[in-house]
Amino acid sequence: MLQMDGVQKIYRTDLVQTYALRSLSLRVAEGEFVAVTGPSGSGKTTFLNIAGLLETFEAGSYRLDGEDVSKLSDHARSRLRNVKIGFIFQSFNLIPDLNVYDNVDVPLRYRGMAGSERKRRITEALERVGLASRHQHLPSQLSGGQQQRVAIARALAGSPRILLADEPTGNLDSLMAREVMNMLEEINTQGTTIVMVTHDPELARRVHRNIHVMDGQVSDLDQRLAA
Amino acid sequence: MEIRPILSALRHNMTGALLIATQVALTLAIISNSASVIRDRLAVAQRDSGIDAESRIITQRPILFSQIDLANLIQTDLDALRAIPGVESVTITNQVPMGRSGWSSTFATERVPTAPSQSAGLYFDGGRLLETFGLKIVEGRGFRDDEIVNIDPKVQNPPPNGVLLTRRLAEALFPGQSQFVGRIFYQGNSPDAEEMRIVGVIERFTTPWAQTGPDNEYAVVFPARYLNPFNHYVVRAAPGAEAEVRKAMEAALEKNEPGRVSVGQYSVQEMRDRRYRGERALAWLLVSVTVFLLGVTASGIVGMASLWVNLRRKQIGVRRALGATRGDIVRYFLTENLLITSAGIAIGVLAAWGLNGVLMSELSVPRLPLDYLLVGVLLMLLLGVIAVLGPALRAAQLSPALATRSV
Ligand SMILES: Nc1ncnc2c1ncn2[C@@H]1O[C@H](COP(=O)(O)OP(=O)(O)OP(=O)(O)O)[C@@H](O)[C@H]1O
Ligand SMILES: [Mg+2]
Repeated sequence: MLQMDGVQKIYRTDLVQTYALRSLSLRVAEGEFVAVTGPSGSGKTTFLNIAGLLETFEAGSYRLDGEDVSKLSDHARSRLRNVKIGFIFQSFNLIPDLNVYDNVDVPLRYRGMAGSERKRRITEALERVGLASRHQHLPSQLSGGQQQRVAIARALAGSPRILLADEPTGNLDSLMAREVMNMLEEINTQGTTIVMVTHDPELARRVHRNIHVMDGQVSDLDQRLAA
Repeated sequence: MEIRPILSALRHNMTGALLIATQVALTLAIISNSASVIRDRLAVAQRDSGIDAESRIITQRPILFSQIDLANLIQTDLDALRAIPGVESVTITNQVPMGRSGWSSTFATERVPTAPSQSAGLYFDGGRLLETFGLKIVEGRGFRDDEIVNIDPKVQNPPPNGVLLTRRLAEALFPGQSQFVGRIFYQGNSPDAEEMRIVGVIERFTTPWAQTGPDNEYAVVFPARYLNPFNHYVVRAAPGAEAEVRKAMEAALEKNEPGRVSVGQYSVQEMRDRRYRGERALAWLLVSVTVFLLGVTASGIVGMASLWVNLRRKQIGVRRALGATRGDIVRYFLTENLLITSAGIAIGVLAAWGLNGVLMSELSVPRLPLDYLLVGVLLMLLLGVIAVLGPALRAAQLSPALATRSV
């Protein structure tokens, strides 16, 4: 599903170059639920951004769903994100001016989907996260857990092949965190591949496989296990 | 495309949107009306005076102090001017078109105080006035040389036998008529008003004041030299001979009676320029106001759009992450701006009519032509698109990684 080999990412500012990823190689198979852990600044978000085609990289290769994505245009990457990838962010990232329904609608409109199809998918996704009755609410009128569930509905509505989550429970209390985790597990059992960055060891223990990132590389332990 | 969600997002940024819409509305109302006023003023400044070659008609006004024999001095002056090479025709008159000062008199068709009357400029034709100014007769004839009399202000003079008037004045005095030669009218409307008989109708001849209304073409011409010191000599120069004629005219008048004070030498073209200086100044003022307003509105849109782009950096990143292409982002801001501008335009069209109504009643400005409003509307739409394009393109360059990176 996701295959990176020797991916290198350098952030250049006027004064310094930061090697955010040194030589990152990893594979995620279709249907897997993988947790990415590692110390702060080790490159987890950078990895996720590259995996989600939000950023480009300097060296190495990356195949998503069998397709080499390193040479794609900005436009093609946007289309690919829209169709194949669902994102869940630590700070939910709902659009504050739009209500729940319109928030879930955002990626579907970018896909140019017909109105009736969008409506069906939005209703279904909101039912799946148990928020169908709140579709008129603005994000500011929801709790953090509810906001994250809307974000999950938004990621799911487009039926992505892979779900990328950067500390999806980082801003939630443990009860809500567990609720969100349950939801992700359920989504995974229905066939969606999930890659989740987390600091929470309890959550990390619940998934199929942990990838530990250290200093911009997958740590040796994992390398050996993967081999 | 996505108009409904843009509208609902706009509801949460009402103040800024209203500000821009109001600015667009005011600008549209003001610029469409100014454009119409500018056109009206410039059209006024370009009106036909009835004179065929204004730059070749040179006037000079020496003060005739000679107390000995004014009639003789005028005749010798005219003979001297006529002898100048390049001079096609010469006359003397009491006032010049667009000269901004002169004589007017009231004319009526009955000798009763209640009779309708018209005020008109009163010209004296000291011989060859039509020829010199290049005026056209549309009915009847001009004066023969033997009809020109000297009028001495110090004695009682008989009224003129026959007079010329302009077609516009004839139509105003005799509404509904088309033949005027031989008709009688009066100078004044008192029981002892002088009787005048029309011998010819001039197609068009503007007054010294060149008023804004149709009365700028109300003029009567008497066949006379008025023997006072303040006449205008008028010469018609051949094409290309203007400069030499001007110099020679000055010299000839000086030679004929040295030491005369001249109030200046002007072509009718120069008279026109001076007469309409105010109109042109107003037009330029309004052009500046228009350009200024367009600039202010454009910067308002640029400023507001830039602010919104900055406030929505995160949101733009999220939209990009969710699959928006750069084109989608540009389209979003263009559509949003178009909605705001359109709302402003809708109000602005009404405001333009309202303002025009006030201007029409207060300042006798003409009705706002629809095509001016239409051009104004298109201009505002174009201005909106151009102004928002910069901020929109910058928004499209924002990285999708803002979704995960920025707080
Ligand atoms: N835009 C950027 N410009 C420069 N350096 C950056 C940029 N983004 C990240 N970095 C650097 O790259 C390295 C990896 O950052 P990254 O955000 O991937 O870490 P992380 O593992 O997600 O950390 P955390 O657990 O704190 O979220 C860090 O040293 C960080 O300072
Ligand atoms: Mg991170």
